This record gives sequence, C-alpha cells and structure tokens, in this order.
Amino acid sequence: MSRSVRSDVININSDEAEIIASPSDHLFGKVLDLSENGLFLVDSDRKIILWNEWMVEASSLNRGDVIGSTFVEVFPGLKGRRIESVINAALDTRTASLLSRSLNKVIFPLYFSEARDEARRIEQSVTVKPIQSDGHDYCLIQIIDVTPMVQREDVLRVLAKEAEEALQVAEEASRFKSEFTSTVSHELRTPLTSIRGSLGLIASGVMGELKPEIGRLIAIACNNTERLLFLINDILDISKIESGKMDFVMGPVDLKAVLLQSIEVNQAYGEQYEVKYHLNDVIDGTTVYADTDRLMQVLNNLLSNAAKFSPKGTEVDISVIQKDGVIRVEIKDYGNGIPVKFQSRIFEKFSQADGSDTRKIGGTGLGLSISKAIVEKMGGSIGFDTEEGIGATFYIDVSLYADV
Amino acid sequence: MLEITELQRDYITEVLNISMGSAAAVLSEMVNEEVSLSVPEVDFLQRNAAANKFDQTNAARMSGVTQSMRGALTGDALLMFPEEKTLSIVRILLGDTVPVESLTEMEQEAMCEIGNIILNAVVSSVADLLKKEIMSSLPRFIKGTGSEIFSVETCDNNDLVMFLKVDFGLESQSINGYVTLMLNVDSLHDFISQLDEQISAV
Ligand SMILES: Nc1ncnc2c1ncn2[C@@H]1O[C@H](COP(=O)(O)OP(=O)(O)OP(=O)(O)O)[C@@H](O)[C@H]1O
Ligand SMILES: [Mg+2]
Repeated sequence: MSRSVRSDVININSDEAEIIASPSDHLFGKVLDLSENGLFLVDSDRKIILWNEWMVEASSLNRGDVIGSTFVEVFPGLKGRRIESVINAALDTRTASLLSRSLNKVIFPLYFSEARDEARRIEQSVTVKPIQSDGHDYCLIQIIDVTPMVQREDVLRVLAKEAEEALQVAEEASRFKSEFTSTVSHELRTPLTSIRGSLGLIASGVMGELKPEIGRLIAIACNNTERLLFLINDILDISKIESGKMDFVMGPVDLKAVLLQSIEVNQAYGEQYEVKYHLNDVIDGTTVYADTDRLMQVLNNLLSNAAKFSPKGTEVDISVIQKDGVIRVEIKDYGNGIPVKFQSRIFEKFSQADGSDTRKIGGTGLGLSISKAIVEKMGGSIGFDTEEGIGATFYIDVSLYADV
Repeated sequence: MLEITELQRDYITEVLNISMGSAAAVLSEMVNEEVSLSVPEVDFLQRNAAANKFDQTNAARMSGVTQSMRGALTGDALLMFPEEKTLSIVRILLGDTVPVESLTEMEQEAMCEIGNIILNAVVSSVADLLKKEIMSSLPRFIKGTGSEIFSVETCDNNDLVMFLKVDFGLESQSINGYVTLMLNVDSLHDFISQLDEQISAV
C-alpha cells in the first residue's frame, strides 16, 4: 500500500507520507482514523493524499485504491458538480465552502453498508477548507453524517402536518357544533313559546274553569315548559358567546336602577325559597359602563343562585363598593358555601356542585359560565369568596362610566 | 465618516455586481430557479452607525450568516436579513417546508450555504480590488439586533464597516438585505489607493 504514497509523487514531505501510508503506526494517523467524520485531503494537482478510516468504510474504497488518484478519477460522477468547483476554489483562491444537505441532496456516494443500498445512503453535510503547508496548497474535505438530523426533521414535518390537519378537523367540528346548536335551539324555541302561551291561557282560566286535578297537571306542564325555555335560551347564549356572535351595546348604566329592577324580578323566586333580598345603600347616580340587558342577566343569575342555595328564612345582602374607578357589586348569602373541591370548576359549563341526576334544586349549571363570559366581554371580572357552611359572596367588578 | 468619490463608488459597485452575478448563477443552478443578486448601494460607515442603520431600518431582529476574515482584512463579513425574510428566502429556495416559526437546524445550514456563496463572492472581489489575499472561515448562522450583531459595546467604534445593500430576487419578489465587511483604518487606506490605481488604469 505504501507504494502509492511516495512523497515524490504527491506534494507532501516524507514524514507526512509515512503517516498517511500507515496511519495505525502513528499517533496523528490514529487520531484521523478515529474521527467520527469523513476526512480526505486533496493536493494542488487534485490528487487525493489522505483518506481516513471513516472514508474507507463509507466508500468501500481502500486507501491503496484512492491515494494518488485524482478526485474526479475516484468520483467520476461528481465531475462538473458544485463539489468539484468548491475544491478548485479552495485550491486556487483559498476559499472555504459549505455544502448543506438541504441544497445538495446527494454529494458523495457513501453508504452505511457495503451493499450500497439507496436506503442506506449517508446524508451528508460537507465542508471544504484550504490548507497551506510547506509552501503547498491543499484542500481538506470533511463529511459530516447528518442522517439523524434529516430523520428528526422528517418526523417533525410529519408531526406538523398531522397537527395542522387535526386542527382543521377540530375547527370544522366546532363550527358544525355551534351552527347545529344554534339552529336546533331556534327551532325548539318557536314551538315551545307557543306551547307556553297556550298553557298559560288554559291555566289562567279564561278558557273556562278547570277541575283541580287538571289545574295541577297544567301547572306542572307550565313550569316545565318554562324551564325548557330557560335552558334553550342559555344554550343559545353559550353558542353565541363561543362563536363570538354575542352583541353588546355598551354605554352608561344607572347601577341602582338596574339593581332594584333585578331584585324586583327575582322577588317571587326568592319567596319560593323563603329568602329576602336586601340592598345596602348605593350612592345615587352611580353610573357604570356596561350593556344594561347583559348586566341584568348576570345579576339575575347571581341573585337566583343566592336564593336557591340559601336556607329558609335567611337574607341575601347586596352592596356596592367603589374603589379606584372600579365598581364592585357584592351578593352575599348565608347558605352552605361552595365546597373547596368544586371551586375551581364552578365557572365551567354544566358544572354543578351536586352533579347527581336526582338534584333537589333546579338549574343546568350554565348560569355562571355565561355570567363570566358576559362580564369579561364588558371588560370586567367575576369572582367569589366562600367558607363552607357559612355562605358565599359573589362579586362582579365593572368600570365606572366616567373613567372609560 | 469616510467620503469616497462618486467615481470610486461606481467602480466598487460595478466590481461587486459582477461577482454577485456569478453567485446568483451558482444559486440558480442549485435550486433550479431564477435567482438574481445585485448591490444597489455601497457605503462606508462607522461600526455604531452601521448598527444604527440595522436597528432603524429593521426595528425587528435580523438573522443571517457570518464568516470571519483573515489576511488583508481582519474582522467579520456578514450577510443579514430581517428575521422573517431569512425564513422566506430559505423556504422559497428549499421548497418543501416545515410549518414552524423559526428555521430548523437543516434550514439554518442551508442558509449558511447561501450566505457562504454570497459572502465568498463579495470577499473575493474585494481581495481582487486589493490585489491581496483574504481568507475566510466557514459560515455560521447568527441572529440578533444591529447592536448585538456589531458588538457595539465591546468593540472600537472607530472601526469602519463597508456597508452594502443587497437585493435578493426570488420568484418575482425582491428581498432586501445587507452585506457588511469590517475594515480597519489601514486596510481602508490600502483599499482606496488600490482603487485609484485601478481606476486610472481603466
Ligand atoms: N351562592 C351559591 N352558593 C352555593 N353554591 C353555589 C352558589 N352559586 C352557585 N353555586 C354552585 O355553582 C353551580 C353552578 O351555578 P350556575 O349558576 O352556573 O348553575 P345553576 O344555577 O345550577 O344553573 P342555571 O344558572 O344554569 O340555571 C350551582 O349548581 C351550585 O352548585
Ligand atoms: Mg344559576
């Protein structure tokens, strides 16, 4: 083998020629052979003068086959390719170059197995650097195996594509769901409204006196129709909120007037539970920035909850606190409070502390989630303080109108 | 700041545009697509003025490729684009893309190669102008703001920067970037006198 590595044939001194001829006998030769990269050196005549062990394995060409031959003799397929011109540039103008894997799909015919199977081709990133020594110019070619990097990015690409598709499917499904809900709810609401109207007429007796048993049945039917309508309205609200179609007419709202009205609306409901509403002093003329109807909707839910979850004979205290341009409305009850375990879920849709089917208290668990969405859309916030067994205080914070 | 004559400026610009033309030809062949490169503007600025120019024209971050030079010029050669432009260049040139917000490892490597081709063209034409040898290292991917890239805090602000505006034409869009070469005062004087010699020879 040392035959082909003679310093008179190629441009290196005899010491170096010896290392190149039998690297395993020399420390520096061993280092080259242990490198995890392919390394070979070309002299100014384009002859290969160094070929490390990595190159031997990946190319299945022994040192004796390549040393002393020109680059193009060893790789005839690379004649005229970019790799040849950058080797020329390194030798002629001492320019260093990089050949990336992405822009040069195939550089050297190098494989992980002797079988030269396309699937076992080594993905490469190649650097080409000029070297000068003893007045001679050389070019060092280093081949870095980037196969793991290519595989990683292939996986990344597949994952990203899957994620994108999954997102599209999910968006489609959610659009379908909200369209479906709103169509169905509308379709249900119309006939139900007319059923309620008719039942109401019958119950009122204008169609003729009812036998007591029939009166009782009609009352049950009326109540349940009412409940169903409430539920449908809530579901419609949720689907409006989720699709961003809930409109708000923001403006100055007289807080005291709204509170008084809301208490009046809930009076009868409170009486069912034998609970009284009590409004603490509110400064006249306190004006908040809100949508009147929506604010009312939130207060109604908080007031009805307070009554619903309070023991008979207690009071619900409503007060207004002003601080730094923020107005807080507090609704305090003396009921059982909210179990610690349930607190984190209380504003979720359909969540109720007592999730059993046989609940004694009516409702669907939509009220608070709608209230939270409404308050936040109006630029405010909602929260509560509670101690189990002692009571709960729900509050909403909204802006003073003057400060908007 | 350094003043050069219109004649000197035109001469440098012409020389640079010739080498950019060949860099563009190399790139076009590699990606099988029409790529054009030109240098519409050449300036000589102080380091901090160059940093300011980056920060002002591109409030956002820049990214690109750097090579360090040895020989007749010592310092860094940079090719920079606004970060999102770098992304579009690489993704247009590579074709098949990964839908993530920043360049992947392999895309950075590809950008390094693109930068290497362009910077080698610029450096070699400057070396030709100087009639001296400039060797440059392999390219490295970098990103940051103007002042980070020019390490304004740590360097001598009297250093000069040769500041080139570069138009990268791709798929009928033109992407603006910059090439800068750090110069020291000595190499600059050399540069100017060589320039004059060559101009008078023409
Ligand atoms: N003041 C309160 N005291 C104790 N628990 C409460 C109080 N307010 C709400 N909760 C708990 O939070 C749950 C959710 O309240 P939410 O207003 O969302 O629904 P709901 O009142 O059950 O039904 P809906 O308001 O839709 O008719 C209630 O079922 C109850 O378990
Ligand atoms: Mg409720």
